[in-house]
Amino acid sequence: MSHSDTIPLHSTSQSDIDEIENLINSNPSSVLPARPPSPPRASIPISSAPIPPPAFIPSNLPAPTNPKTAPVPSVSSAAPKPPLPPRPSGPGGNISASGFGSPPNTLTEPVWDTVKRDLSRIVSNLKLVVFPNPFREDPGKALRDWDLWGPFFFIVFLGLTLSWSASVKKSEVFAVAFALLAAGAVILTLNVLLLGGHIIFFQSLSLLGYCLFPLDIGALICMLKDNVLVKVVVVAVTLAWSSWAAYPFMSSAVNPRRKALALYPVLLMYVSVGFLIIAID
Amino acid sequence: MDESSSNLPTSHLLGSVPAVVSEGKAATNQEDGDAQQSTNNWKGVFSISSYTQYFNIDTDILLSRLISSLYPISGDFFSKIDANPDLYGLVWISTTLVFVIASLGNCATYLMHRRSDHGTSWTFDVSYINVAACSIYGYSLIVPLAYYFLLRYLGSNASLIRFWCLWGYSLFIFILSSFLLVIPVEFLRWTIILLSGGLSASFVALNLRSYIQESEITVVVISAFVLQMGLAIFIKMWFFA
Repeated sequence: MSHSDTIPLHSTSQSDIDEIENLINSNPSSVLPARPPSPPRASIPISSAPIPPPAFIPSNLPAPTNPKTAPVPSVSSAAPKPPLPPRPSGPGGNISASGFGSPPNTLTEPVWDTVKRDLSRIVSNLKLVVFPNPFREDPGKALRDWDLWGPFFFIVFLGLTLSWSASVKKSEVFAVAFALLAAGAVILTLNVLLLGGHIIFFQSLSLLGYCLFPLDIGALICMLKDNVLVKVVVVAVTLAWSSWAAYPFMSSAVNPRRKALALYPVLLMYVSVGFLIIAID
Repeated sequence: MDESSSNLPTSHLLGSVPAVVSEGKAATNQEDGDAQQSTNNWKGVFSISSYTQYFNIDTDILLSRLISSLYPISGDFFSKIDANPDLYGLVWISTTLVFVIASLGNCATYLMHRRSDHGTSWTFDVSYINVAACSIYGYSLIVPLAYYFLLRYLGSNASLIRFWCLWGYSLFIFILSSFLLVIPVEFLRWTIILLSGGLSASFVALNLRSYIQESEITVVVISAFVLQMGLAIFIKMWFFA
């Protein structure tokens, strides 16, 4: 009936077509109970018949049972297919593309694909914000594809590093570092908005989080090497790097007469974090 | 100011929070038109544009207010801030003070430790940050509020924003004196803190007296002086002991 369709149907339209065909065939009492509910995978059964279904013994009954049994192996063989994309060949690929009637769904892709996509976005945002690149002077282009995973990782990493380096009150150190950075990013953004500047709230949070990356490196080096002079030098260098990374974005967001008022709190936050890094031993 | 702010590259971005951006522009436009009147663009507690009127300050004005907080004798602070009281000073001066006394307090204990050569090693005391934040923020928020209610009760015409502004700028001198308090000589530390406490307290008291014209508020003025001196002594004893 509708099994030989090659046009991918929406998942609900298949059952509608089946119902209409049943009404046209005008044998409502016997057909409806025999039809298993809804599966759009009813379009696949003949082509996937050569693949043995995992828990179903193929019956040697004649053809009339085919329409009834055929959807069942397709259901059982279609169900494991979406989470196992390497296993099927053509039919499996068709299932994920045509069975749901939409392009590959991010809900059904493997976890590693999602993680890899987010990691590559973090790396590209990092390269845009922290390292020199030609788009830096234009803050609109600099972080168009903002995300909050990167800042989250960097803040937690900094808190953990400081907590590891501390010899007493470890949990209080982590709490102070995390609260300072998270609340600090929000307050700095609010400060720019209150001074009448034009920034996007989450883009600014994202940017301030990414600019913590040099301080993360500095904290890691200070954890490994315990000399006070080395610590001061490393923290000074990474502090300058972080401030240089955040400067164009913050200064272009406000009126030039208020530039220093917007930049000073950023400097204050990074200096206080740098001081925490030096002083924790 | 409008031309340069509308030419900013970020003003045409898609995906911006439309309410904030447009309301911010509307508020600043309105400010330019009504610069001399006391505008009240209150659009609700949760809208940023209702608070931008208290942050309408430029760098040079801020610096001049900071410098004038170091000279208590002139007593004309309220006339300087009358048209445009700002809360930027309160927020960021108190935040800077919290950071400065927490970090320099730790530096001071480190230097005392090095001088007296204890057996135990010095550790960074993170609780300084907590105590500093609670005490400074609590003082600078609650004391002006209390004075506002007291003066309203006594019948004079007080303005809460101006009181917050005054007390905020009065804390600036403690930031400068904290750098000097690191010197580990006890007699010098007491001299410095009493001097700076006296300057700050007289700043508060003289400006308060010139703002309120009645005579029965002498007790109020004296109590403001005493409270500010109390804050100075608390800073010395807790953080720079």
